[in-house]
Amino acid sequence: MKPKEIDREQLKAIIDRHRGKTWALIPLLQEIQETIGYIPPESIETVAEALNLFPSQVQGVITFYAGFSLEPKGKYVVRVCRGTACHVKGGRSILRLMRKELGLDEGETDPEYRFTLETVACLGACFLAPTMMVNRNYYGKLNPNKVTSVLAQYRKKKGES
Amino acid sequence: MEDITLTINGKNISCPSGTSILEAAKQKGIKIPTLCYHPDLEPFGACRLCLVEDEKTGRLMASCVTPVAPNMTILTDSPTIKTHRTNIIRLMLANHPESCIVCSQGNRCELRQIAADLGVGETDLYPMPHYTGLEAANPFIVRDLSKCILCGKCIRADHELVVAGAIDYNLRGFKSRPATLYDMPLERSVCTFCGTCLSMCPTGALSLKNEQYVGSPQNESKTICGFCGVGCSIVMGSVDGRVVEVNPSHEQETVNGSTLCVRGHFAHDFLNTKDRLTQPMMSHNGELTPVSWDEALDIAAKQLVDIKKKYGPQSVAFIGSSKCTNEENYLFQKIARVLFETNNVDNGGYMSGRAVLNRVEKRMDGGYRINPLSNIDKAEAIVLLGADPGHSVPVMSYYVKRASRKGTPLIVVDPKKTEMVPFSSVWLNLIPQSDSQLINGLAAMLWKKNSFDAAFIDRFTEGFDVYCEGLKGLNIETVCRDTGLTMGAMEKTADLLAGKKIAFVCGNGILKQRYGIHSMNALLNLLLMTGSPGSERGGLYIPARENNQVGAWDMGAVPDALPGRRDLGIESERKDWERAWQAKISPDRGLDVIRMIEEAEKGSLKALYIMGENPLRSLPRPERVRKSLERLDFLVVQDILLSETCKIANVVLPGAAFCEKAGSFTNMEGKIQPFEPVVAPLGEAKADWEILDLLAGKMGSTQHYGSLEKVKTEIARFIPMYRDLDGHEGPGWVGNKGDRRLFNPDGEGTLIPFTPVVSIEHKDINDEYPFTAILGSQRFHLGSGTRTGQSDRIRDYGVKGEIELSLEDGARLNVQDGDSVRVESEHGFIEREIKLEKGLSEGFIFIPVAFNANDAMNLIGLTRLGGPDSPGWQGCQVKIMKL
Repeated sequence: MKPKEIDREQLKAIIDRHRGKTWALIPLLQEIQETIGYIPPESIETVAEALNLFPSQVQGVITFYAGFSLEPKGKYVVRVCRGTACHVKGGRSILRLMRKELGLDEGETDPEYRFTLETVACLGACFLAPTMMVNRNYYGKLNPNKVTSVLAQYRKKKGES
Repeated sequence: MEDITLTINGKNISCPSGTSILEAAKQKGIKIPTLCYHPDLEPFGACRLCLVEDEKTGRLMASCVTPVAPNMTILTDSPTIKTHRTNIIRLMLANHPESCIVCSQGNRCELRQIAADLGVGETDLYPMPHYTGLEAANPFIVRDLSKCILCGKCIRADHELVVAGAIDYNLRGFKSRPATLYDMPLERSVCTFCGTCLSMCPTGALSLKNEQYVGSPQNESKTICGFCGVGCSIVMGSVDGRVVEVNPSHEQETVNGSTLCVRGHFAHDFLNTKDRLTQPMMSHNGELTPVSWDEALDIAAKQLVDIKKKYGPQSVAFIGSSKCTNEENYLFQKIARVLFETNNVDNGGYMSGRAVLNRVEKRMDGGYRINPLSNIDKAEAIVLLGADPGHSVPVMSYYVKRASRKGTPLIVVDPKKTEMVPFSSVWLNLIPQSDSQLINGLAAMLWKKNSFDAAFIDRFTEGFDVYCEGLKGLNIETVCRDTGLTMGAMEKTADLLAGKKIAFVCGNGILKQRYGIHSMNALLNLLLMTGSPGSERGGLYIPARENNQVGAWDMGAVPDALPGRRDLGIESERKDWERAWQAKISPDRGLDVIRMIEEAEKGSLKALYIMGENPLRSLPRPERVRKSLERLDFLVVQDILLSETCKIANVVLPGAAFCEKAGSFTNMEGKIQPFEPVVAPLGEAKADWEILDLLAGKMGSTQHYGSLEKVKTEIARFIPMYRDLDGHEGPGWVGNKGDRRLFNPDGEGTLIPFTPVVSIEHKDINDEYPFTAILGSQRFHLGSGTRTGQSDRIRDYGVKGEIELSLEDGARLNVQDGDSVRVESEHGFIEREIKLEKGLSEGFIFIPVAFNANDAMNLIGLTRLGGPDSPGWQGCQVKIMKL
């Protein structure tokens, strides 16, 4: 399966809306990231031209922020916390289990573009350690059973869609 | 603004507010170590080595980014500071590969120097170098980013100085490195290989690729670059009398600052090529064989003198050089005028459009000639007319791009989408040769807006009324039709220019174009109307292609002017020089380069002396030029390389390249830049002025100079424009003419006339040759490529000078990138590879010159430039066939 085809018209519309506003680079990139799911590398030059920046500058900003990605990601992005509190509470095992369950290493996406596995330095919810996020949802006080049930929940969702 | 006083290391310092602590300390001679600071770049605060301590609060601050504040007491060398600095250096070293022994930066590495100063040898830290691949595919720069310390100098130089945008930081944290777009190698990015980053890199992350020599040079000395007319100040490093590297000289107030271009930085390989001339030679049965200096000079002098005696002064001609020094050109034309009583003297500047510039000179009374490039920064608007400075005079393009980034409106008038177009507010991609209609059209639109400088016009000009009548009669719709531009683009341009002083940069697209004179007249009218000349905020910039194009003219190496640009046709001017030289000067205008070829063809020109020019490569129709020169009874060529022209000479005299002799060049700004030799001439070669001096003696001159100083003194004495030449105060400026009325209300001078508006009827395109070819240069080569073509690294880079064609025409002709085509004009044909380009309009092709022994010259006719009906050298009609 291929990642969703990019809606070129939509991409163009987003860029045109910000044309000439050099200050708006980050909001523009955020909008592309939100709408398309990632920032198609070939759009760097178009963005740069619209904002009167160098393409290398735009690339620099994209690769600096973890929130921007130049590669398409899965429908569900799982972020396992590797902060100190989570580590103490067994976050490492959660990550190991997740790797096994999804069959993915950190930073990888499955060929069907359903899941992407990532780790994050801290989710800022240490009181819920060990924690993870799937897209925008937090899951705390994890244990192996809870992990499998959360995953099953998303796997089911994908079946529906 | 009030000065701020503070103490640094107990010394009282007073400096303007806004000064950084680092700069304040520097002024007092207090050294603070830095890796990321550079005086030409915005402060950045990346390396943290310049930490200083506020004695009162104990606070540590990066001194490069902290401005001075009143009553600060700063310590730059306290124990705390030292500890911190040492730790920073230890961490940097732990992250740095231990490859110093093979690193070409050697002892010039700033990281190593600072470590040494701080006494850091072993770091006592676990080494964690971050290895990246070595990138060395291009012939200019080796990138080993494992040695990068992330000071960001390369990135800032790229963005702030040369405004190329090839690199920026990529990724973050440990992985962060400067990278091109998509992290491609430099040669696949927009990098122009100006090498500015290379000269700035404090470590060996960026190093010079040199197959001949790796390491620090034995000697470094300053000189002036010998390629284009910008006249960059450079430092050449040499080993055993061989130039091995070039960097910008780090002095204040140079035209180039910390920048250079690919030619200036890397094309000096030609200095060491095997084709350098090292001994005098004479032709025996068609073979050049080495002879002694005495023999060569005796024969050359005797033959030339005999021919003059036999056939008269008009039978001998002289081609001086826009690459040789002022002193040499002065001596050269003096030999022609005094010893041979002829004005048959010209120089390579002819090929750079002197005929059209002559018109500017006459109309403006010389009042446009001093124009520092730094004024581009002050321009209210910039118009590039048929000029692509990024390729012809790259350092000038940095000025234009910097101004544009700052918000100065930039209008690019060019049928080709040049690299300047992305920086422009408007791109007017007009039909070639319709420049004069466009300029008149814009003038008419401005006039309708009442946008003209009435006070200026009143004071300095005459004939405005007649000009206005002409503008009134112009129909803008017709202008749009003739130029192929939309009314919208014209209106936008007029809006951007209205009420402003404008800096016009006028390139070969006007100077060597058909109707060049008309376009230049139209342009001067517009220039005067807007009151732009004489103002720092506007003016006329003529990118000089050759390093001493301006000086060679000033020195009188032209057929119609005496040194100091004095008019040969005016008796009083002639009398001045007759008195100076104590000789009679012929009042007859001499032959220009083209007429020389024509007269040689007819057999009426018998002898030619060429110094530092290669007409067999630089003139149109090389074969015709060859045949013509072969008809001469005697040909002397004085050059540094065994050029095409040398090969057919009777006597070849080996001269010295610019870095092997002393002298002065006058750059396109009107700045006279003296320089001293970096290395000695190769083999038996001699400085050209010395050769001329010896030769003049053999030709019967009683005046023996013997030293360059004497030549300089004579020039300074008799040419008021060059009165500063014999001073030793460093560069001076062309004086006198610049003092004329336009710049100095009390100065002398006549009113500058407006010329009437001339409409041009376009000639119909010949069906047999449906394409319009535009000839232009690429930054890797200068002029006809005689020198740059001999440069190993330029050759290795592999630019082939592909002919550029629009996508539409490519589809129609069924050709793709890399296909070979035959391009044919009524004069000749060439065969090259093709490259499809988005930025070209249908029906136009772009042919880079200087490649393949400058074969593009076969396509154009050997005609005189600047005549009212001259077809120009900048373009021609062609047909294309796929091979």
